[in-house]
Amino acid sequence: MDPGDAVNPQTGEANPYLPEVAANPIPFYERLRDHLPVAMFEGFGRGTWIISRYEDVRWALKHPEIFSSDFVAVDIGQDRPLIPLQIDPPEHAKYRRVIDPTIGPHEVAPLEGELRVVVNDVIDSFIARGSVDAHAEFTVPLPCIVFLSMCGLPLEDLDKLLVWKDNIIRPNTGDPEQDAKVRRATGAALYAYFEDAIDQRRGGSGTDLLTRFLTSEVDGRSMSQEEMLDICYLFVLGGLDTVTSTLDCSLAHLAQDPIQRQLLADDQSIVPAAVEEMLRYHTPVMQILRAVAQPVELHGHKFEVGDTVMLMLGSADTDPTEFGEDASEFDATREVNRHLAFGGGPHRCLGSHLARLELRVALEEWHRRIPDYTVAEGAHLEYSPGIREIVSLPLVFEPVTVAVAE
Amino acid sequence: MMRIHFEPDACVGHGRCYALAPQVFDADDLGHCVVLLSEPPAELADAARLAVASCPEDALTIDE
Ligand code: HEM
Ligand code: SF4
Repeated sequence: MDPGDAVNPQTGEANPYLPEVAANPIPFYERLRDHLPVAMFEGFGRGTWIISRYEDVRWALKHPEIFSSDFVAVDIGQDRPLIPLQIDPPEHAKYRRVIDPTIGPHEVAPLEGELRVVVNDVIDSFIARGSVDAHAEFTVPLPCIVFLSMCGLPLEDLDKLLVWKDNIIRPNTGDPEQDAKVRRATGAALYAYFEDAIDQRRGGSGTDLLTRFLTSEVDGRSMSQEEMLDICYLFVLGGLDTVTSTLDCSLAHLAQDPIQRQLLADDQSIVPAAVEEMLRYHTPVMQILRAVAQPVELHGHKFEVGDTVMLMLGSADTDPTEFGEDASEFDATREVNRHLAFGGGPHRCLGSHLARLELRVALEEWHRRIPDYTVAEGAHLEYSPGIREIVSLPLVFEPVTVAVAE
Repeated sequence: MMRIHFEPDACVGHGRCYALAPQVFDADDLGHCVVLLSEPPAELADAARLAVASCPEDALTIDE
């Protein structure tokens, strides 16, 4: 199937949740923008409107009083609205003022050295083989190890955390009711795990993320246990698969684009720009949701209060009106790049500074050590819709013997 | 002489400005922009222009 066929201008419908679209979304995005700037997606058991042009998406992001985040749009096993994702301004800013500094640019910069060691350890575990499932062995463990280490949690908990994360994001039992049950049970386990970890840190003087939540204040009071738990929950849900999927898309792309790969391997100073271009071109979080809080009109369509709206970040990020005629091409040296892969407006990704650091160091070290690689012959790359992870990413390269330290 | 104008209420901390022109912009502890040199010297002008053009929230403008 051609991904563009997932848009039907006759009926006004579009379906971003097809595997063909996730694997190759650009033709889908193009048809949406050109033919259905307001489209209808009949999924999730109720209709959702899709907005796809750059200026429209940017406008919606900047107007939380119209396009609100204050709803539990998706049941992901959470007990309450997630802080700060599902809280609207002005309340929202209070939390951001507290959480942002714990993970701001100056805060994450010192992690670079440690991160480089982690990345190299992971590469060491497979480089001698000359082949790897880069998803399972590289892009999945990396952000989880970083998260555990930032929270001062033991590395042995890695497998447990990975299972919980997957059970919440994609329980895949095949039965919606059963899915919801798995999510609830896992959510409860995750809350209990962090509750325990936070209790252990009370009165302590550590510098890890959890201890810093304990000593932070919102509106002149310390954060409640619930608030801290909500933030932890969101870090697990928002900070792991997103980085994994960006790295999946990046490695798969470069494995198939030897010219851009060579640019990157030859001159690592372009890695930061290449990271931004990966985020733009692949927009790993394809879309985000909002609820209409005030009646509003766009392209002749009248939105009503309570409507659900999907802001298609991926199509905004490949819109030629913003990115020029070469918007649907990948250019690691693109200069002006106002992509919305981290969202925009008040909810703009809180973890973006950490994410950028992880992506840069991972791509630098990978290409320093494995400059030349391809997708294993016969491999079919399957992308998951919504957050564009690649289910399995078998890569092959020249094996390298790792010197074992004495 | 170029002059940079910054609209703090529009800034949400994309961090494009201080990544692209670190001698002209810095981050505060929230990751929002701090203008270090509102009248950058000629040798930083190109970097400053690129940084301003890269802000997705239009929080930065330049008077030339
Ligand atoms: C490349 C990696 C990442 C991508 C593409 C990404 C993408 C996004 C997007 C699109 C949003 C906006 C959601 C909305 O407006 O509804 C967002 C918000 C958020 N992200 Fe990320 N993210 C990434 C990494 C991370 C990391 C590493 C963390 C945490 C450590 C994180 C934590 C959050 C949080 C807490 C929010 C909610 C902010 C708010 O509502 O104020 N993200 N992210
Ligand atoms: S790029 Fe714009 S929004 Fe981002 S920190 Fe700079 S001024 Fe603020």
